[in-house]
Amino acid sequence: MSTTQELHQVFANAFEIPLESITPDLEYQGIVEWDSMSHLLLVDELERFYNISIPMEDILEMGSVDKIKEILKKNGVEIQ
Amino acid sequence: MELYDLINKNKKLNFIDAKTKVTKTLQELHESLDIEDLRAVAFIYNDNQLPSIETFLNFYQKKYTVALLNVGLHDKFKQNLEEEYMPAYIYDPSRIEVEGYDLKQASKNISVFKRKAIRHYPIHGEIKLLMSTSGTTGSPKFVKISDHNLVQNALSIMEYMPITEHDVVPLNVPINFVYGLSIFTTNCIKANTIVCTDSDVLQKEFWSDLTHYGYSTLSGVPYFYELLQRFGFFKKDTPSLRYLTHTGGMLNKELANIIADYSQRFNKQFFAQYGQTEASGRMAFLAPDDFQDKGTSIGFPVKNGRFEIDENTGELIYYGPNVSGGYANNIFDLQDYNHSDKLFTGDLAERDEFGYYHIKGRIKRIMKLFGFRLNLDEVEVLLKNELGGQTFICISVQDKYLGILHQDEFLLRETITQTLKENLGLHASSLKTYYLEQVPLTVNGKVDYPTINNTIDKNENSSITIKKVIG
Repeated sequence: MSTTQELHQVFANAFEIPLESITPDLEYQGIVEWDSMSHLLLVDELERFYNISIPMEDILEMGSVDKIKEILKKNGVEIQ
Repeated sequence: MELYDLINKNKKLNFIDAKTKVTKTLQELHESLDIEDLRAVAFIYNDNQLPSIETFLNFYQKKYTVALLNVGLHDKFKQNLEEEYMPAYIYDPSRIEVEGYDLKQASKNISVFKRKAIRHYPIHGEIKLLMSTSGTTGSPKFVKISDHNLVQNALSIMEYMPITEHDVVPLNVPINFVYGLSIFTTNCIKANTIVCTDSDVLQKEFWSDLTHYGYSTLSGVPYFYELLQRFGFFKKDTPSLRYLTHTGGMLNKELANIIADYSQRFNKQFFAQYGQTEASGRMAFLAPDDFQDKGTSIGFPVKNGRFEIDENTGELIYYGPNVSGGYANNIFDLQDYNHSDKLFTGDLAERDEFGYYHIKGRIKRIMKLFGFRLNLDEVEVLLKNELGGQTFICISVQDKYLGILHQDEFLLRETITQTLKENLGLHASSLKTYYLEQVPLTVNGKVDYPTINNTIDKNENSSITIKKVIG
């Protein structure tokens, strides 16, 4: 079982920002750090951390922290 | 305004706002705003939505000199620019108030900021458009572009671009970049539908709009094509799409091959181009048929343009009617427009035995980060100002990363990345920071950039951290 805390840490690593600034309502392009360049870095980090492969069509759906939890679930990673 | 008249002649032209689904014909946009007709500067902070486009066309049609700027520019920089140029009007959908300005309803859905006390100062009659050279560093330096420059640029592009009167064209490069503006002007003159949008390849809306509106063309810098590749775009046909255009530096060899195969297999045309803001747009293009064999070349000059290579320096020099009227750093520079058809591009070039031109490097201290240019000297000054006056050295690392060198062993990487993120919106992943004890200097005591570049390059290649080598 993985935790929200871990997930937030993955975000913080990908965007190179403090863990505290990762909030559940964070959205793509809602902060300067989450843009088209870092989005793919985030995907890489998620894939590496959870050892999964995220299909391209799912990447388009990853518009917010909540959406990403759904996508992870779809790919077999349940976040508590 | 000749450019506006050319656009106005296109009676089929209409605009769709991808976000709101609002559709307007050019007739509906024509003189749609309640604004005076002044010879004064108007700032437009563009977000590429229909209201921005409508506002731009309205100001352009009148006597104004229009500065097209990025809506995402840091507020601090907006303020500096406004203090310097004292625009009579400001359009900025991201702000609700601007000091010294009244918010004025100019139409049912568009409001503009009007200066309370309009300052009248002389502006040369030919300066129609001001484009930023840096994009994000907020430097007050603008390129002075005339209506004639823009018309000549548009006509020369239309000589080779297969635009038809049925085309549906997304503004997927913002019009505050000269490349985006060229796409806008040429298609407004000839195409049918302009889709105003700011969604990018990583958003669902981009893909649904592509299918829904049936885009005839897509445009982008190399990074855009890299993303398309990641999405498997080149493996299948997008039937509505006839041609693709590119600028902003060379594609990597592998991607170029993939695109060449894609164009052949699905019968698409790919136009590699070369341009600069100082040329009001494009200077050269490579014909689609040549892309497979000559993918690394910029091809030949556009119509009415020609190249020369300086024998001593190897610098590429462009001549053409689209060469702009020089720079403005303040309002006094708006008093004249330099009539010259000659432009030193700052790029090093070679001409091969078949006459094709190839870019070999840069003389100017400018790099392209994700296709958009960054003036390295300006970044150095910005860091120095923001971080207590110490010296920073900025270089391009393999044309992919902005390299920042400093001599303060206690300076944290986070401090630098944070500063550049706040001021320029640069992401940490595109930055490489290095600490070095001693800065290599030339005999004249200036920073020895070539030596620094070589050392960093060598070490990036051998993946040894520079700290160990120089520090």
